[in-house]
Amino acid sequence: MPFAERSIAPELKLIEDVNFLQPQTSFMKNGIPVFMQKGGSQEIIKFELVFKSGSCHQSKPLQAFTTANLLKSGTKNKTSEQINQLWDFYGVSLQIDAQKDIISVGFVSLTKHLKPALELLLEIITMPVFPEDEMHIFLRNRKQKYLVNKRKVQYIARMHFAELIFGPLHPYGKMLEDDDFVKVVRDDLISFHQAIFYPANAVCFIAGNYPEEIVEIINKTLDNFYWEHQKQQENIIIKPQIPTNPKHYIEKKEALQSAIRVGKLMINRDHPDYHMLSITNTLLGGYFGSRLMRNIRQEKGYTYGINSAIINLLRAAYFFIGSQVGKQVKDKALEEVYNELRRLRQNPAGEHEIIMLRNYLSGSFLRSFDGPFMQSERFKEIFLFSQDYEWFKDYLKTLKNFTSEDIQKTAEKYLHEDQMIELVVG
Amino acid sequence: MIDFQRYILDNGLKLIVHQDRTTPLVAVNILYDVGARDEHPEHTGFAHLFEHLMFEGSANIPEYDNALQMAGGENNAFTTNDITNYYLTIPKQNIETALWLESDRMLELAFSEEKLNIQKDVVSEEYRQSYLNQPYGDVWALLRSLVYKVHPYQWPTIGKSIDHVKNATLEQVKDFFYQFYRPNNAVMVLTGDIEPNLAFDLVKKWFGDIPAGAKYKRNLPAETVQNADRRLKVERDVPFDEIYMAFPTGKRLDYSFYTTDLLTDILAGGSSARLRENLVKKKKIFSEANAWITGSIDNGFLAVMGKLHKDQSIENAEKAIWEELQNLKNNPVSERELQKVKNKLEASNTFAEAGILSKAMNLAYYELLGDADLLNHQTEKYFAIDAGELQKAANDILNPYKANVLHYRANK
Repeated sequence: MPFAERSIAPELKLIEDVNFLQPQTSFMKNGIPVFMQKGGSQEIIKFELVFKSGSCHQSKPLQAFTTANLLKSGTKNKTSEQINQLWDFYGVSLQIDAQKDIISVGFVSLTKHLKPALELLLEIITMPVFPEDEMHIFLRNRKQKYLVNKRKVQYIARMHFAELIFGPLHPYGKMLEDDDFVKVVRDDLISFHQAIFYPANAVCFIAGNYPEEIVEIINKTLDNFYWEHQKQQENIIIKPQIPTNPKHYIEKKEALQSAIRVGKLMINRDHPDYHMLSITNTLLGGYFGSRLMRNIRQEKGYTYGINSAIINLLRAAYFFIGSQVGKQVKDKALEEVYNELRRLRQNPAGEHEIIMLRNYLSGSFLRSFDGPFMQSERFKEIFLFSQDYEWFKDYLKTLKNFTSEDIQKTAEKYLHEDQMIELVVG
Repeated sequence: MIDFQRYILDNGLKLIVHQDRTTPLVAVNILYDVGARDEHPEHTGFAHLFEHLMFEGSANIPEYDNALQMAGGENNAFTTNDITNYYLTIPKQNIETALWLESDRMLELAFSEEKLNIQKDVVSEEYRQSYLNQPYGDVWALLRSLVYKVHPYQWPTIGKSIDHVKNATLEQVKDFFYQFYRPNNAVMVLTGDIEPNLAFDLVKKWFGDIPAGAKYKRNLPAETVQNADRRLKVERDVPFDEIYMAFPTGKRLDYSFYTTDLLTDILAGGSSARLRENLVKKKKIFSEANAWITGSIDNGFLAVMGKLHKDQSIENAEKAIWEELQNLKNNPVSERELQKVKNKLEASNTFAEAGILSKAMNLAYYELLGDADLLNHQTEKYFAIDAGELQKAANDILNPYKANVLHYRANK
C-alpha cells in the first residue's frame, strides 16, 4: 500500500443500520418481568431491580434516598458490617440509585459469583431492619457532603434552577434544607420500604454473560425469602408553577466564576415534536461542535465548557443551557447565549452543519447500542417511558430526513429566547 | 485474556491491535510518552495546554473535531504527570478518517497565535473551575509539593501557576511538539472490529511517512530518601477540616506496587474496609475516609485522607489514622481479609476490560510500561502476595519519619 494522500479526506461511509437486540423476556415466579440482554467479551453480569417509585412519592425530604441507601445496613439475619464484608469478599459492586421517579437496586458481578450476590441482594431488599444508629451515621455524613456542595456555584445553580422551573412545592423542584437531615426518623424508612419495595412495583434488567438457567436460579433464591404484595403507592401529579419573574441572580462575593443556567419546561419524549427538538438541542449545545461550544468556548474563551440538554423525568421534562464562566465575562456570555437562541430560529443552518450534525448523531446512536450493557440501558429507557423500539426507529427516520427549516421551526416553537428563565450564581 | 498483535513501523511507531468482532465500532488510542513531569519548572502546565492545542488544526485539517464528527466519531484526551493520551471511537467503516486525523496532527500542527490565546483562556477557566473555585481545590497541589522537593511530580498537570500557561509563546509550543509528538515517542492501539493485518497496512499507509524525531532521553532528578516527617498546616474558607498523610513508595514497575496497592485496599477498598468500618462508623471521627496509591511511573506515594466531623480535633484524627497504620505493621492480615481484597481486584480488573475503549487505553499504557501483555497478568500478581509480604510492605512504607502530613483546616 502506498502512503496516503493527506490533502484529500478519506471517503465517508454512512451508517446503514443499527442493530437493536430485542431482550429475552421472562417472569419471576412472583410476577416480576425480567428483560435479558446476553453477550459481552467478559464473564460479567449486571443485575438490576427497578422500582417504579422515587423521591416523588416520599412524604418528607430524603426519605426515598435514605431508605434506598440503608437497605444494605442490616437485615434480620446480618449486621451492616457482615453485609459489607460479603459484597467486598465476592468483589461485587452494589449499585443503589434513588432518583425522582424510580429507585434502582442492583449489582455488577463476575458471573461466577452470581449466586451469593443474588442471595444477598434479595435479602437486603426483602428484610432490611434499618438500624437507628446506622441511619444517624449515614445522614450525618451525607449532611457534611451537602454542606460542602453548597459552597459550589454549580451545585447551587442546579438546585435553585429546578426549583425555579417546577416551583418549590413540586417534587421535582423542592430543595433540600440543612434541617432535613435531622428530621428523618426510622419509621419513615420502614413505611417507605413497605410502600415501594414490593414485587408488583418492580421490573428486572439483566445484561452480560448470564447462565441459561438464570430465571430458575432467581426463582430458587426467592424461595428463601418472604416477599409479597404490600401497599400500593399512589401516583403524584402536581402542576409545575411557572415563575413570574424570568431573571434571577444569587450573589456569591467570594466566587471566581459564575454558574449560568438558562432554560424552561419542555415537552417530553412522548410528544411528536420530541425527536426534532432533541436534534435541534444537539445543534445548539449537545456536542463539542455545537453552536454554544464554538462561540463561547472555542471563539471567545469565556469557559471550559458549555452545554444544553433536555432532562426527561417521567412526569415532566425541562431544558437548560449550563456553564461556568469567568465572573468578569458573565454578562457577555449570557448575551451570546441569547444571540445563539435567536440565530437558531432566524438563520437557517448551512448544509455542512446539517450533515455534520446528522453524521455525528448517527454515530452516537450506534455507539449507544454497543454491547449488551448499553443495549439493556436503552431498552430500560423506552420501557420506563412505556415506549417500544418504534420510538428509536422514528428517531432514525427523523434524523435521516430533517432539514434546516425543521430546525428553525422547532427553535421558534420551543426555544424562543423570550420563553427562557435565567439564573446566575456567583 | 486479551489477545493482540504488535507491529513496529520503521519510524518507531508502535502499534497494538486487538480484534473484537462483537462491536460495530473501532477504538483508536494514541498515547504520547510525555506528561507534566517532562515540563521545564518555569513552564509548567505545557503538556496539558498542548493537549488542548492538538484539536486546533493540523497541516491539512483546519478543525479536528469537525472532521471527526462528520464521520460519526467521538473523542477526548487527558494528561497526567506521566502521559498524554488521546482516544476516539468511530463506526468501523470510517476508520480511515480516524487515521487521517491522527496522522495529520502527528505530522504537523498548524494553529494560529489567535487560537493559542483562546485556548490559554479556556485553560485558565478550567483552572478556576477545577481548582480555585472549588472547596479543597488546592489539596492535590499542596500534597505534591510536600512530597516532592526535586522531582517534577511536585506540580499538578494544570501547572504550578496559571501564569505559566498565560506566558506560553508559539515558539515554545512548537518546540514542545517537535520534541515529544513524534512517532517513535508514541504507542498506538486499535481495538474493535478490525482485522490486525489490515489495521497494520492502514496504519503504515497513514503514519509510515511521518519522520521519526530525535530520541528523547528522560533524565529527571530523583528524590532523596526522606528521613524526617514534613508537616504543613493551612487554613482555608471551607466548612470542615480534612487531613492528608502521604508516604513515598516505589515505581509502577517495582514489585512493591502490588503490595502497596493491596495495603490501600485493606484500608479503604470497599465499605467493609478498615478506615470505613473503624474510623467512619465505629469511632465516628470522619464523614469519609480513603486511601490510595498514585501508581506513577517514577516513585509515587501512598495517601490516606479523612474528612473530619465538626466535633473532632485534627490531632486526634491523625492519632486514629496512625493506630490503623500501626495495626497493619504489627499484625498480619487474616487470610479471609487478604482473599477479599484480591477478589475485589480480580473483579475490578475484569470490569475494566469490558469495553473496546478501556481495553485500548489499558493496552497502550502497559505497552508503554514495556509490554502490552502485562495487562493479562495483573490479577495473578496480586494473587501471589501473602500476608507476610503485606506486613513487611507496611513496615517499609508507613514510617513516621517518611510521613508528609497536611492539616487542612476550616477557618472559624
